[in-house]
Amino acid sequence: MKSEEKSYVEFIKVLSFLAASARGCVDEPPLYGPFRLVDAISRLIDFVLREKVLPENKFLVDIKKFIDENKFKVMLSEEEFVKFLDELVKRFARELREKV
Amino acid sequence: MDVFEAIKGRRSIRKFKRGKVPRDLIEKILDAARWAPSGGNIQPWKFIVVDDEKVLERIKSVSPGLFGDPPALIVICSEKERAFKVGGKLARDYLTIADCSMAAQNMCLAAYALGLGSCIVKSFSSIGVKEILEIPEGIEPELIVTIGWPDITPSPPPRKSIEEITYLNKYGVTWSEK
Repeated sequence: MKSEEKSYVEFIKVLSFLAASARGCVDEPPLYGPFRLVDAISRLIDFVLREKVLPENKFLVDIKKFIDENKFKVMLSEEEFVKFLDELVKRFARELREKV
Repeated sequence: MDVFEAIKGRRSIRKFKRGKVPRDLIEKILDAARWAPSGGNIQPWKFIVVDDEKVLERIKSVSPGLFGDPPALIVICSEKERAFKVGGKLARDYLTIADCSMAAQNMCLAAYALGLGSCIVKSFSSIGVKEILEIPEGIEPELIVTIGWPDITPSPPPRKSIEEITYLNKYGVTWSEK
């Protein structure tokens, strides 16, 4: 498979995930909305790094790791999951302060 | 393996090691599933085993609740139309779901006894899965069971005590008062 075609396939997979998540959110528990969103962040980071849309980036690698290690808290404790979301936004805000 | 060991040891696995699951092991899991109880013995299930990498990728892409890159999965479908003909609305609307759930539990316990990990998934797009697997009208995908070699086995989440969930002879009389 050519690299452009491969990138397209990977991108379609991310978009399919988003479309299926959008439909799922109609019937799923409200907290699954934020869960799907943070999972989408992880998948988008995976896409841009794997397909070399952006060069290697420590912040993105760390954020993806942070999300993947914490996203399943949604199934164990709402309080812990919300704390994780707060910390996630804080990390993005710090990056914005430095880079934007 | 002792049945209580399997029941208490099984976890929902969301990270799998690389490595295919031999089809003879998948067949053992299917055999366990077909021995699940079903309302009126309708056995309303149809199982679709997916172990082709491309088809797995397609299913994963429309299944937000499917994690961990499993090398195989089983889509448990219910025969809604046949269930209705044999068992009416009760069978079509309620029993098929209960029956498929019991088949899913048997699959997970059998997988655990074989050293495999599994996870029952409901968060998937039914329409998407039907389109990808060319499932005909009257057949409904109810659950997906992922199967693979466990990489990370999570700690057991807390369970409610028997006293918290059980009453004796009358609602409200706790089991501990026996």
